[in-house]
Amino acid sequence: MSALSRAVARVRGVLARRAAVYGINRRNLALVYPNNDRRHYPLADDKLLAKERFQAAGVPAPETLAVCEGLYAVPGVVEALRGRSQFVVKPANGAGGGGILVVGAWDAEAGCWRKAGGEPLSPRTLGRHLADVVFGVHSNQLEDRAFVERRVEPHPLFAGLWGDGLCDLRVVTLRTSPVMAMIRVPTAESGGRANLHQGGLGIAVDLATGRTFRALHRGRAVERHPESGAPLLGLELPAWPAVLDVARRAAAAVPLGYLGVDVVVDREARPLVLEINARPGLEIQNVNGRGLGPALAAATDGRAA
Amino acid sequence: MALTHPHKLGLTVLALVLGAAGLMAYKVRALGYRLADILPVRQYEVTYALDLDGHGGDVRVRSFLPSSDAHQTISEERDQTSGLHLSQAMEGPNRVATWSGADVPNGARIRHAFKVLPRRVSYELPAGLEVPAAYPPSAAAWLRPEKEIQVDAPEIRATLQRIGADQGSVVERLRRIHALAASLQPRPFKGTTDALTALRLGESSCNGKSRLFVALARAAGIPARLVGGLILEPGAKRTSHQWVEAWVAGHWVPFCPTNGHFAELPERYLTLYVGDEALFRHTADVNFDYRFETHAALVPSPQAKATFTLFDVWGLFDRLRLPFALLRTVLMLPVGALLVVLFRNVVGMPTFGTFLPALLAASAGETGAGYGVLAVLLVVAAVAAVRWGLTRLELLHSPTLAILLAAVVLALLTTSMVAERAGIAALTRVTMFPIAVLAICAERFYLSLTEHGARAAGKELAGTLAVMLACHAVMSSLALQVLVIGFPEVLLLVVAANVYLGRWVGMRLSEYRRFRGLLGGAA
Repeated sequence: MSALSRAVARVRGVLARRAAVYGINRRNLALVYPNNDRRHYPLADDKLLAKERFQAAGVPAPETLAVCEGLYAVPGVVEALRGRSQFVVKPANGAGGGGILVVGAWDAEAGCWRKAGGEPLSPRTLGRHLADVVFGVHSNQLEDRAFVERRVEPHPLFAGLWGDGLCDLRVVTLRTSPVMAMIRVPTAESGGRANLHQGGLGIAVDLATGRTFRALHRGRAVERHPESGAPLLGLELPAWPAVLDVARRAAAAVPLGYLGVDVVVDREARPLVLEINARPGLEIQNVNGRGLGPALAAATDGRAA
Repeated sequence: MALTHPHKLGLTVLALVLGAAGLMAYKVRALGYRLADILPVRQYEVTYALDLDGHGGDVRVRSFLPSSDAHQTISEERDQTSGLHLSQAMEGPNRVATWSGADVPNGARIRHAFKVLPRRVSYELPAGLEVPAAYPPSAAAWLRPEKEIQVDAPEIRATLQRIGADQGSVVERLRRIHALAASLQPRPFKGTTDALTALRLGESSCNGKSRLFVALARAAGIPARLVGGLILEPGAKRTSHQWVEAWVAGHWVPFCPTNGHFAELPERYLTLYVGDEALFRHTADVNFDYRFETHAALVPSPQAKATFTLFDVWGLFDRLRLPFALLRTVLMLPVGALLVVLFRNVVGMPTFGTFLPALLAASAGETGAGYGVLAVLLVVAAVAAVRWGLTRLELLHSPTLAILLAAVVLALLTTSMVAERAGIAALTRVTMFPIAVLAICAERFYLSLTEHGARAAGKELAGTLAVMLACHAVMSSLALQVLVIGFPEVLLLVVAANVYLGRWVGMRLSEYRRFRGLLGGAA
């Protein structure tokens, strides 16, 4: 075969396979716009609004310990947290993990908390952090709300992937049907963030079985964790049918049709919904090694059947 | 997934395209618009740069200034002479300028500038026209011999017979005279050559050939005269040029035996005076130096301005005394925005917003694309420095942006100040870049930096600069600008393209790379 005909064949192959792959233009026009009304975006963008919906629909989510609506509420919230251990402070409208403060045990003797790394966190510092969040420092807005959640202890299987924090499951749903799923694992290289572009690890999960079957790191398929060497493939995720079930119920709780539902599984193998995203990214296709096209068709067929 | 209403989309695009095409056809067929008129024409700015010094008494310099006629349009004439007084008078067809003053011990600088829009003119001469028996007095005056145009010399008469120009039609005689004058060997002689000398030597520069032409034409009974002027070309020069005009059927028809133009005047000839005159005369005892400085620029053709009258935005801007540059910027913005859409949605190149690259390109239209890039880089450097300094303070969003604006302003002013000190005049122009556009640029870059990190912000910056340069190349096309001014319905085509792109679900070029693993394109 000549070089030219090989090139032609390759281009033909690319053109034939591209029908299955969703680019941003197609995602927006075919998935996001028809299914997600723009006026409902706040339900996904504001984590507190989403949690209210989840609570009303009985979708399990990490317990909310306190909400800080304004500057006036900061001292009360700090006092209420005094003596409590293991909680997380989050901005309701934060993006990219900014403003999230993970707090460990209360040290009664010192009168302060210990952060994840062991360094002390005084009530005064916590109060200032809450005030910053309320002022919108982490949200690029004029103001925001801060809320405090019980810190979720991850299931050992997930803790084995990344010990320093949470790695979550992303389930993409179309009109409440799961379409594709992956685990996003932070690495030391990614600075503890699960963002795949910053060196995070993506692990594809088979919807039917809950088994991991592919892992991607910096665009390359890998079989082991690039830092710990832990095996990544063939893992059987705990409570998989329950995970899919909470993803479905979370999607049904909001009037948004195309979602990325972020789920964590706690130490007792209970799935909890962390948040939802109304414009889920497309990298999940690379992690799964296949385009969204057939997966969407399969998901909607399954629903019809 | 199928589009909801593909036929609605098709109908909208079709209606827009047909509407634009219909309007254009109507203008061309019914209103006499000509598509050729959208092409820009070359306008020259000519400066007389005359310097004199070394004299203790009164000083006078006399020269000729051009007039508008069928061949050339003179405009925006201005005198920036220091120390001398300019007076003007008409002497026959010539406009004579005299700069005079008393005592210029430190010398004087005459700077007189004007703009010329020249056109090529050519004449169809009536083939059978006989030499008339009598002429009106104004033309008959140009039959007489002059000191250096020896009409009555026997050698001129003999030559006229030898080349057969003493009989036949006017055109035939002129053709033979033109051929003879043109056949003289060229000679780069700066001084004056009279008609006889040119004939005897068989070689001459332009003025000798032209005098020989005039002498022979007059001897043949056709009024003729010398014409003095310049051949327009960008740069500075001292060389002027001479050609001739002959009176044919009531018109002064141009000929240039030196460069072989018969009954035509090329575009680049600038007429300054007629008659056997010296271009400059000045009082004795001064050091006199002169040169002509010429700049060329493309401008819209006057025909376009005169005929593009439906929805006459051009006239509107003229009446409101708004500059042409603003008009073309406003009308080109949608075109620039379409280009940005192509880069973002088809190529997949990230930029700071949809409008910003087009706005930057429009702003750079005044200063040049290079300064636009420089101004953006300055802004980005200022934002990065301020962010680095402020990040520990964890300030609120709006005050942070206000600080950024102060930093941007200071960075621009400092750059101009340093540039001026260092004598880099061109660099001081970054201050002229519209601050509003740079402020948006600063905000976008800051947001990108905070939300997506340095790497993504850098990518967006590179994309913004690349798209801005592409926009600048397209938006600064004068032909395109005049097209949109004359045919604003072109913007309907831009809308149609955006409607189409607005429902286009194809993969972006960058996504072929991103999903190459899924597409099997990788080797």
